[in-house]
Amino acid sequence: MANEDVWVIVPTYNEARVVRGVLEELLVHFPNVVAVDDGSVDASAAEIVATRARLVRHPINMGAGGALQTGVDFALLDHGARYFLTFDADGQHRVSDAVAMVEHIRTHEVAVLLGSRFLGTANNMTRGRRLLLLAARWFERLTTGINLTDAHNGLRVFNREFAQVLNMKMADMAWASEFLARIAESKLPYAEFPVTVDYTDYSRSKGQRSINSVNIGVDIMLNRLLRGHR
Amino acid sequence: MQSIKIVLIVCFLLVIVGFFRNRRRVELRAGTRILALALFALAVASVMDPDITMIAARALGVGRGTDLILYALVVVFTLTTLGLYFRLREADQRVLDLARMIAITEAVQADGLPDGQALGRRSTRGIPSATVGASDAGVAASEAEVPAPPDEVAADRQADHPHAPPGGDE
Repeated sequence: MANEDVWVIVPTYNEARVVRGVLEELLVHFPNVVAVDDGSVDASAAEIVATRARLVRHPINMGAGGALQTGVDFALLDHGARYFLTFDADGQHRVSDAVAMVEHIRTHEVAVLLGSRFLGTANNMTRGRRLLLLAARWFERLTTGINLTDAHNGLRVFNREFAQVLNMKMADMAWASEFLARIAESKLPYAEFPVTVDYTDYSRSKGQRSINSVNIGVDIMLNRLLRGHR
Repeated sequence: MQSIKIVLIVCFLLVIVGFFRNRRRVELRAGTRILALALFALAVASVMDPDITMIAARALGVGRGTDLILYALVVVFTLTTLGLYFRLREADQRVLDLARMIAITEAVQADGLPDGQALGRRSTRGIPSATVGASDAGVAASEAEVPAPPDEVAADRQADHPHAPPGGDE
């Protein structure tokens, strides 16, 4: 089977209703899938165990960025792993996009390939969410110097070189910004790839409340400003 | 008078930023301890003779001694809060690193190293049923339900051993 050298990382937090379907769809195309259960209080872990995906279970809730980093650390233990793909557990991404992105990164000189719903399609996105993502895009552009059409898409694929320098410290939702900061620091080539994001009632109910972006923004600024020397 | 205030405020902000960016330096830590001791001595002195704060306030152009103390309190409180904020962040980070290590160690102990070949995860279909609700032991059960050729089953066994060396690339 193809894609033996790819690890799919699925951060999962209280997604018992959908995670199994998402994982099984992924397993059709990717033999290596790891679901990081971020201390779910529902039956997510049992649902993951019911598939052939690997389960890594956080003893405490760490946040999406923490779960992602755990998945990367785990996948790095496989010395044959060359590409790392992140995929949201709530079913908003399409596996066909993931397959296409892996094909793209194999054939192009990029270390990081980021999905973009604005180059592609965003189904049933609310106006508020669109504005928020536009603001996020400008925020990232100003703070990291990386200009993307969609700064906060959960569908990403990167090579081993980038996985080894990723080492994200911000466990909460601020991870998306930290991810971009790492790209900027590493100076590795990156690109965007058009993907489709399907907003459903379920994914909307699971999504971030927009006001939380204020918390995230302030945290990031404080951290950048006062990061300190090691 | 107005412009000097702006200069002072800007200086104060710069001091805070510089202070926190260099907070790991030993000289700075020693400085904060000396400052704390000095403030403590001042507090004792001003209790013994309340006029001291008033004289100091006059000298600095602040209205009353209480105002001076209030300003000093704001400064100390800001520094303390920011200091604690970063201390908490660092403590959180340690907990997260630890939890991540535990999670990965447990996963490797349960199913072996994440080596695609060694785990025999080549077949793509097969939806095991009746394992929902099973606890951690369910992993082994779901593995067993996937029909696999004998050589892959053997590979599975090997992978169950947590110290099994990772298989080579294809």
